[in-house]
Amino acid sequence: MSECGVSNSIKAAPTAAWWRGRPASVVLMLCAALALMGTALYAQQTERAKEVGKKLMCVCGCGQVLVYCNHVGCAYSSGELKELDAHVAHGDSDDGILSAFVGEYGLTVLSEPPASGFNWFAWIMPVLAPLLALLLIWHLVRRWRQRAALASAGAPQISAEFLARAHHESAPDDDA
Amino acid sequence: MDIFGSFALILALLAAVYAFGAGIAGIITRRPLLTKSARQAGMAVFVLITLAVGALEYFFFTDNFTIAYVAEHSNRALPAFYKFAALWSGQEGSLLFWSWLLSIYAFLALFLNRKKHPELMPYVGVVVAGVQTFFLTLNTFVATPFRVLAASDGAGLMHLARLSEGSGLNPLLQYPEMVIHPPMLYLGYTGFTIPFAFALAALLGRYPGEKWIHITRRWTMVAWGFQSVGILLGAHWAYSVLAFSGYWSWDPVENASLLPWITGTAFLHSVMMQEKRGMMKVWNVWLVFTTFMLSILGTFLTRSGVVSSVHAFAQSGIGPWFIAFLGIILAVCLAAWWKNRDYLRSDNQLDSLVSRESSFLFNNLILLAACFAILWGTLFPVFSEWITGSKISVGPPFYNKVNIPIALFLLLLTGIGPLLAWRKTSFDALKRNFAWPLAGGLAAGVGAAVSGFRDIYALMCLILSVFVVLTIGSEFFRGARVIARRDGLNLLSSVVELTTRNTRRYGGYVVHLGMVLIFIGIAGTPFNKDIQKEMGPGDRMSVGPYTILCQNFDQVSNGNYQSERATLEVFRNGRSEMMLYPERRFFLASQVTETMVAIQSSPLRDLYVVYAGRSQDDGRPVIHAYINPLVKWIWFGGIVVVFGTILALLPNRRTPLLQHAPEPAWRDAIAPATSVGAAIGAASARGPSRVASAVGGVIRRMSSDE
Repeated sequence: MSECGVSNSIKAAPTAAWWRGRPASVVLMLCAALALMGTALYAQQTERAKEVGKKLMCVCGCGQVLVYCNHVGCAYSSGELKELDAHVAHGDSDDGILSAFVGEYGLTVLSEPPASGFNWFAWIMPVLAPLLALLLIWHLVRRWRQRAALASAGAPQISAEFLARAHHESAPDDDA
Repeated sequence: MDIFGSFALILALLAAVYAFGAGIAGIITRRPLLTKSARQAGMAVFVLITLAVGALEYFFFTDNFTIAYVAEHSNRALPAFYKFAALWSGQEGSLLFWSWLLSIYAFLALFLNRKKHPELMPYVGVVVAGVQTFFLTLNTFVATPFRVLAASDGAGLMHLARLSEGSGLNPLLQYPEMVIHPPMLYLGYTGFTIPFAFALAALLGRYPGEKWIHITRRWTMVAWGFQSVGILLGAHWAYSVLAFSGYWSWDPVENASLLPWITGTAFLHSVMMQEKRGMMKVWNVWLVFTTFMLSILGTFLTRSGVVSSVHAFAQSGIGPWFIAFLGIILAVCLAAWWKNRDYLRSDNQLDSLVSRESSFLFNNLILLAACFAILWGTLFPVFSEWITGSKISVGPPFYNKVNIPIALFLLLLTGIGPLLAWRKTSFDALKRNFAWPLAGGLAAGVGAAVSGFRDIYALMCLILSVFVVLTIGSEFFRGARVIARRDGLNLLSSVVELTTRNTRRYGGYVVHLGMVLIFIGIAGTPFNKDIQKEMGPGDRMSVGPYTILCQNFDQVSNGNYQSERATLEVFRNGRSEMMLYPERRFFLASQVTETMVAIQSSPLRDLYVVYAGRSQDDGRPVIHAYINPLVKWIWFGGIVVVFGTILALLPNRRTPLLQHAPEPAWRDAIAPATSVGAAIGAASARGPSRVASAVGGVIRRMSSDE
């Protein structure tokens, strides 16, 4: 999903005539392209490595969880995946693997903020804010009901007969 | 021609500034001629920006690589419809596109209301012109798309430079949905300007009555509909192009599009409380303000580089402009609200916690909680870096943990809310309305649990989805049954009759149904499976019920790209079912390689195959296959949401019953009053029968559309 507008720098790209005049260059370019297509892929991976990999990010800046990063030519994810498999093969615990990655790449390699220090706020605020809003609503509702009680005390009395007639006259309501 | 485009933009800016200044002067001096000229200047902005957009498109189609923006975002071999879409592929062009869409909205709002609401429209014109002035200032002085390329000669003189070929369009954008998705999303973002303008105008001008809220609601629904389509098309684009087998990755740019959509959704619900009961006026005004401000905030996040995103525009110096604009908007909104807060006093109070009003309150609370959680997650890395000095990531696991419970609660309210009555719902009514839907939901849950459904969130989603579908179904059924009995129609015709008589209510139910389908689609995610394998011709691999046979790899090329393509035959139960052709394309102009995913979609599951590249170890091609259950439900649900939105925007069909309803008696009685108590008080002076008529009238007014 995107608003996509990744800017490209200006390059003097070759024209069609240029391509036609240089068949050898075209072949070389094609080979280079195919070689580029083949870079940086690492066939993986055990179920446990996949699970732990979901707790890690690719550090190339793509914002993808490590095991979902599928960028062509990503210079980071294949290295990270290899490292992850090595840790799993070595029998390291999940926490041990995550600590090793944090030690190497920093906290940014974790796919969610650790629940410690200032980063604890990342977790607590989405819970705290609705609770505060709920308190506010409770306060508002109480005030409204108090006002409603005061207003109804001064309103004319309506008999059951009138109310029945009023309901009879009213149409069914109409909102989703 | 570049001068023509720049000149048109400068004139558009001048026209917008005039519309703003003359509009204010017209309001202060009350001179109709000034007001009229301001309105016409506002409409002229549309014509002038259209000329500028036409000029830029002309440069794209004539491959004029003297213009820097064209050279950066196009090339000669680019297909024509991508040249058209290149307009919004970069910072400068997309800002121009934004201004153009806003000018279309402004033109429509000013033209359609030119003979209506003479007290309100001058304010609306001023607010819209103010927003247009900001964006046209950016188009003209900060990010102009008509910058030409120049080179200096030996003597230091500058000359126009023309490149023989452009750098090409970003390959990720060379996909049919990218021709539709950004315009839809921008129509959503820019569309929220119009309800904002009406709300602010009504507040500034202390416009009497509730008419402005009806207008605001309709414009919001239009913008909301476009935003919904834009978000869904974007999700489909991500699914089909980005090759991570998902449709949503909680990227900051994705989140930015979701935030105003959520507050817009909250407004479309809470506005009913103001229309029916004169409540929540302050809340509604601030929801409209917030929705607009979140649109601007989203634009700021996308374009400033303050949060990192693969989708975002390159980092630029445009951020401070948006921050300043946001500051101005916030200050104006606060000042307008503070000065006129008595104008927003509620007419009524909440009578019971078990009522339609309270369900809207909770609905708004939950929607805003989701909005806050997403905004908090998006901005938290920035806060964390400021305070602790170290970067952290807030990835999909965070958003899923926080938002899934919120979303499920929202789904529950979607089922409960419409069945509660205004003011108060009795226990008997609760039992009558909810017994069968609840039993149906629980039965579905038990059935799913017995058949091995173990994921707790997916199970809850299933139970709630069945519950909501049954409540919606019961609403249609009960209404249609009454019509069928009275008019002798069959049930299907009665459903159509019912819906066309109250499009807003039943269109809303259709939107809810679409959302349920989307939820069901999302609930399939925990059951995804995947396998990645090196494959040569003749190799096989199995995923879900499918076996994939690799037949061969070949190469395809055209003027735009060269591609390596896998030919895969897919078997199910030993029978050949389909051929799939996942590709990797090397785009010549931009020198970038991208994947083209092959997807076989069915209502139960998608087979999603990526040609992932070649193995580092032995250079063999690697194929990554995924089974993604129920994804098609999301796209189908999206279509249903759009259909429901269009339905809700249609006018009601007049019925003989309503045309001949004996209205004058109660209408006279309640005309000067806005609350039940006041209406009854006014009518009591005319005798007991008038009191009953007045109560009936108030109830009817609460339950009828406008």
